[in-house]
Amino acid sequence: MARITVDPITRIEGHLRIDVEVDGGVVRDSWSSGQMFRGIEIILKGRDPRDAWLFTQRFCGVCTTVHAIASVRAVENALGLEIPLNAQYIRNLLVIAHALHDHIVHFYHLSALDWVDVVEALKADPAKAASLGESLSPWPGNSRRQMEAVKAKLKEFVDRGQLGIFANGYWGHPAMKLPPEVNLLAVAHYLQALDYQQKANKVVAILGAKTPNIQNLAVGGVANAINLDNESALNMTKLFAVKDLLEEVRDFVQQVYLVDVCAVGALYAHWLGYGAGVTNYLAVPDLPLDTKGTQFDLPGGTIFDGNLAGAKAFTSFQDAYFRDNVEESIAHSWYDGDWQRHPWKEETEPKYGDFDPNGKYSWVKAPRFMGRPMQVGPLAQMLVGYATGHELTKKWVDYALNTAGSVAGTKLSPSVLHGTLGRHLARAVRCAVLSDLGVKHWGLLATNIGKGDTEIFTPFEFPRGEQQGFGFHEAPRGTLSHWVVIENGKIKNYQAVVPSTWNAGPRDGKGQKGPYEASLVGNPIADPKRPLEVLRTIHSFDPCLACAIHTVDAEGQEISRVRVL
Amino acid sequence: MKTLVMGLGNVLMGDDGFGPFVVKVLESRYDFPGEVSLLDAGTPGLDLVPFLTGPEAVVIVDTVKAEAPPGTLKRYGREAILRHLPEARLSPHDPSLKEVLLTLDFAGKGPREVTLVGTVPASVAAGPGLSAPVRAAVEAAVEAVRVELERLGVPARPKAEPGDPDLWWER
Repeated sequence: MARITVDPITRIEGHLRIDVEVDGGVVRDSWSSGQMFRGIEIILKGRDPRDAWLFTQRFCGVCTTVHAIASVRAVENALGLEIPLNAQYIRNLLVIAHALHDHIVHFYHLSALDWVDVVEALKADPAKAASLGESLSPWPGNSRRQMEAVKAKLKEFVDRGQLGIFANGYWGHPAMKLPPEVNLLAVAHYLQALDYQQKANKVVAILGAKTPNIQNLAVGGVANAINLDNESALNMTKLFAVKDLLEEVRDFVQQVYLVDVCAVGALYAHWLGYGAGVTNYLAVPDLPLDTKGTQFDLPGGTIFDGNLAGAKAFTSFQDAYFRDNVEESIAHSWYDGDWQRHPWKEETEPKYGDFDPNGKYSWVKAPRFMGRPMQVGPLAQMLVGYATGHELTKKWVDYALNTAGSVAGTKLSPSVLHGTLGRHLARAVRCAVLSDLGVKHWGLLATNIGKGDTEIFTPFEFPRGEQQGFGFHEAPRGTLSHWVVIENGKIKNYQAVVPSTWNAGPRDGKGQKGPYEASLVGNPIADPKRPLEVLRTIHSFDPCLACAIHTVDAEGQEISRVRVL
Repeated sequence: MKTLVMGLGNVLMGDDGFGPFVVKVLESRYDFPGEVSLLDAGTPGLDLVPFLTGPEAVVIVDTVKAEAPPGTLKRYGREAILRHLPEARLSPHDPSLKEVLLTLDFAGKGPREVTLVGTVPASVAAGPGLSAPVRAAVEAAVEAVRVELERLGVPARPKAEPGDPDLWWER
């Protein structure tokens, strides 16, 4: 029995530590320990709720947009506000563009190197790589010349004596299985992805006035003045710039990203059984189509024990099924006490102690829905969508299973999605769904403006007394919710339950493991000193835990330690 | 020379807000040539890519880990930043400056000139506001950026009527 500690999983202050017990080459038990941003209620208490989103969006520098959206929704929910259609569509476009950017970056720049052996790409025949690429996709960026250029660039990089960004990777690890040509295609697309993620980001910058940390939101709507005759307002030039960018990104997502994930997934089909863990899923609907938040273009709901037939949908921004069933447990977390409470009733009294695998071992609280641990993220949303007949989800899930199946030479059913590869596949599928919806919502906005509607904001006043509100948003990493209590126009309490808390959280008072922990049990470990398999599974969740601080270690003192005991 | 002055850090986490703080002071005190832009970038991880693709020169203000007392000002060029390669990618949200520079290096798209002006933090606990030693380092950082812009040939000009820096997170 070996105990492996990978600490930190992140290299910035505040980190994720993963411990696994390995016996016979297989993970038998695991612990996920994270340091979350905490103390947000201290910063927000007493503030004007209209300003909350400016602060909450600073929780995490990668996901600024999502915390801004959830915050304004929470306050709007507390006040019962309706949001003008233009504002809903503009917010939706921001959400879509941010997610497109985020998912592309996650696969190519954050996870691909878990599966792709860049050094092996040097053995590839560029002509073969090109013809493989062309057999899978109409994408014009798969030509022989382009493959040759990428191979030459890679060779030059390697010959310089340092792999740079690719150094310290898992080259030659026995778990790397792709043929050289697929490795080369992946490297080529890695480079192209740098351009396309920027295009998606540009949409956020145009509509948000800047990114990161958009400036255009307001409780009650958005601040983007719509005036087709005005240079500095949202006019036709800007609208068409957004449209062009969305169409270009859509093509990359559908012809490159999704195809790559299907191909890589198929070639690693032996991994389809690993990393399932918790098969209760939670997702919230998003992309509201009306002013009240009762119709959505993205599905949300719950699935328990992998039973798709029993999926239950959330139907509105006011849905009591969501509102009443979220709780957080601190049984195994470094807070004073042992409770499991609804966010409106939470307090935060940090009480740091030692890492005690049988007691408290994480800063992350353990969220539960109806007392059950829930996996959140694109897989949750795609499964709920598939189960509830959401058309776009079904279209792209079926496409993905067919494409991966044809590369693998076998028929794949949706049940293969529970697991590490399934999470990557679902994220690419979600990205494809969003790429279609981006163009659709652009059309909705343009058409609405064309009707002469330039409303962007609903004025309001704070009533006296106390109001409670919650705002949910399906962020790239999963279900995000903000919970606010307002008293006489000032914030009395504020809690954020972020997606990575659902996934990275520790055991609860009943000893039920969180999704990260459960997903690691049963994973193979070929070499305990190079635990690539642990990284594959954790990365498939797209963790975003400790983005709170950024400190450059220019003197090389900080090291990531893999300890094997 | 297209130049970006970028403050990195989380304004809600104590001394981590140093970078954005310095950018706000610069904005309140100087006018800049058209090819220079200033940005409070927060903590964008690999999302730095769009900002570092385009400028020929980048001056970054940030907190840094070093064996020195809080408030010590440090200055690093590109070679120093990249001297120690990043460790095995252990988290999708590891990526920071080094990773972005190396990625752009591979893509052939990064800035030629990279300077990092940093201070050693005392405390990065939750809550906006700089500690006393780090607050005391702000002037030196502002001057270091000013000197660097002069060296790059895109000097800052003191404003006729400097204002107060827009430190909205401290209000």
